[in-house]
Amino acid sequence: MKKLLIFMISIQIGLILNAQVLENLTIGLESNTVWYNDDSETGPFFDTSNNDGDKHLRSNNYLKIDYNFLQNFTASVQIESYEPFALLNYSKSYEGTNLGTYSLNYRDSKLNITAGHFYSQFGSGLILRNWEDRQLGINNALQGGKIVYEPADFISLTALYGKQRVGFKTSEGEVFGFNSELDAAALLDFRDSSLDIGLSYVGRKEDTPFVNPTFDELTNLFSGRVDFYQNNFYSNAEYILKGEDAIKQGGQLSNRFITGGNAILFNTGYSKSGLGIDATFRRLENMSFFSERNAAGNVFNESSINYIPGLTKQHDYLLTNIFVYQAQSIVNLDTSQSGEIGGQLDLFYKIKKETLIGGKYGTKIALNASYWSGLKGDYIQDNPDAGTLPSYDVDLFAFGNKYFSDFSIEIRKKWTPNWRSIFYFVNQSYNKKIVEGSGQMITSNIGVIESTHKLGNRKSVRFEIQKLNSDSKKHDWTGGTIEYNLNSKFSIYVNDIYNNGSDSDTEKTHFFNIGGSYTKGATRLGLNYGRQRAGLLCVGGVCRFVAEATGLTANLSMSF
Amino acid sequence: MKKIIILIALTFSSGLLFSQNLPNINLKGLDGKTVNIKKISKSKNIKIFAFWATWCVPCINELDAISEVYEDWQDETNVELIAISTDDSRTKKRIRPLVNGKDWSYDILLDDNQDLKRALNITVLPHLLIVKNGKILYRKTSYIPGSEDEIYEIIQKYTN
Repeated sequence: MKKLLIFMISIQIGLILNAQVLENLTIGLESNTVWYNDDSETGPFFDTSNNDGDKHLRSNNYLKIDYNFLQNFTASVQIESYEPFALLNYSKSYEGTNLGTYSLNYRDSKLNITAGHFYSQFGSGLILRNWEDRQLGINNALQGGKIVYEPADFISLTALYGKQRVGFKTSEGEVFGFNSELDAAALLDFRDSSLDIGLSYVGRKEDTPFVNPTFDELTNLFSGRVDFYQNNFYSNAEYILKGEDAIKQGGQLSNRFITGGNAILFNTGYSKSGLGIDATFRRLENMSFFSERNAAGNVFNESSINYIPGLTKQHDYLLTNIFVYQAQSIVNLDTSQSGEIGGQLDLFYKIKKETLIGGKYGTKIALNASYWSGLKGDYIQDNPDAGTLPSYDVDLFAFGNKYFSDFSIEIRKKWTPNWRSIFYFVNQSYNKKIVEGSGQMITSNIGVIESTHKLGNRKSVRFEIQKLNSDSKKHDWTGGTIEYNLNSKFSIYVNDIYNNGSDSDTEKTHFFNIGGSYTKGATRLGLNYGRQRAGLLCVGGVCRFVAEATGLTANLSMSF
Repeated sequence: MKKIIILIALTFSSGLLFSQNLPNINLKGLDGKTVNIKKISKSKNIKIFAFWATWCVPCINELDAISEVYEDWQDETNVELIAISTDDSRTKKRIRPLVNGKDWSYDILLDDNQDLKRALNITVLPHLLIVKNGKILYRKTSYIPGSEDEIYEIIQKYTN
């Protein structure tokens, strides 16, 4: 705390002394504070991860300062404070107040050098991605050094080394990376098309816990990709090969189960004015990759080196987010799992104005479909007595157990200059056992109608009505939202979802929220009181479990 | 704690009096060409940098709303809107079909590992920057129906 104070004072003095400093300074502040209260419906407040029922007030705070100087340099620090403990469902490794990340960067037209913490991504991130998501409690920045060298317009080379950030500490394992990007279109002087080629290597080195390890402490991953674009057509493909490594089974690293992995990603699409089509195929086999082998499968997504998002549509409504798919990349012989295979299709279409269906203002339609299943093959359990090692043998393009499917249609319609509506329908099948560890397949149909009315004088009101029906007696949900914008600064809302089914965790309970926000420029203050449903909280296709909680939340964010 | 809050408030309030420069960061456009943010911001005409994502409903609503009046805005002020997508590799594929499907005429830049978003300390989407001669004149977050009129008033104020 003292360090922070001294730091702030010195910044303050610096600012007063030099106006030019300010032109080159950007600051971001985010503060999320919750008072958790005991709930007569769902029970008293208790934090299982800290074993605490007393500290009802929790606060997560982030202050980030970036300063550009001498034309080419940028210094950056992020101070984080989790007092007295982090909000519920965050990893225990975020505790107290401390320096979260810091870095010094030099950049000119050819060189980009960073010392300290950095965020990097190779290709789609399937081999390496460092990112921050405060809502999910993820910050897997690497602490070390990175050099990006661009000797010519068409080539970019990256070399990096670091240990990964885990809370306020760093990982045991070390990460080495090398990436090259070639803009072949510029090299070959293609006029109207683009062709990018990328090659990457990522290595993770961590001591093994075994006296006679049957695997190497260094695990190697290689990736190659091609990205092509011409006129209205585009296509890209990526392949990743993961070298042999020990697999974690039954919560323990095994010295008997050693295998490699791979991933195939293919995407293609066509689009022109008023029309867009996109299709993606992905197959993952044993692609989970962490800076510490024992972190595999951890619920907080800590220490993950690569980025494996669920490739499904990110829905926007409360009831469309009850059953959310999370990509399956781990190996688990008990459930015959070694990865996933599947795809996603998107279609966007605008029906022109002044047509029969388009109406006066045109109608916008978006379709999405996705299907994911396990890898089909033989899964052999460890049996030392019979002399069999644990292993699996899967087919390249065969679909195994169904994990998830989703079909959605969204119609956006403007009726008058002041009235517009959205109609949304989703059909979903969700394998609860695979995604959450218990339960069975649930198929549901969800319908949403949203309507926004401008009332003049910058006042507007927005309604949502939502309904979820399922083939399970446990889930029969109804929901609604009303939002009222008083002017461009103040907004208030109330929403509620209610399960009329027999699911013991959620039945006959109103999960409601009531709140408001004030926005001025780049400053936003939000207040909310409500009951949070237990389940998966997903941002950007990555999810974590959150426990049920009731409380008053204040969010403040400012950027300068 | 109180002292810190006061200091933070002071720091920010003094920061308000100055307009910031844009960071020296390169982003790729949908056409595969690289664009330097600092360079394109150094224009006499006003540029709007609109940070958005395909999964962000208010962002789409805002860009849809501006799209309907964009021609008038351009005719009167020569303003140019650059929509900077912060979609990561999960949803990045949806940008091109969505932009075309919606018939937007904005230039689109890709900030797929959020380098620019992070450098500008943007935490909430949508987030707009109004930029002229390489300086940020105004920043705004969140969207409610009708707030595009307010943006246009600010653009008009800074034109000429």
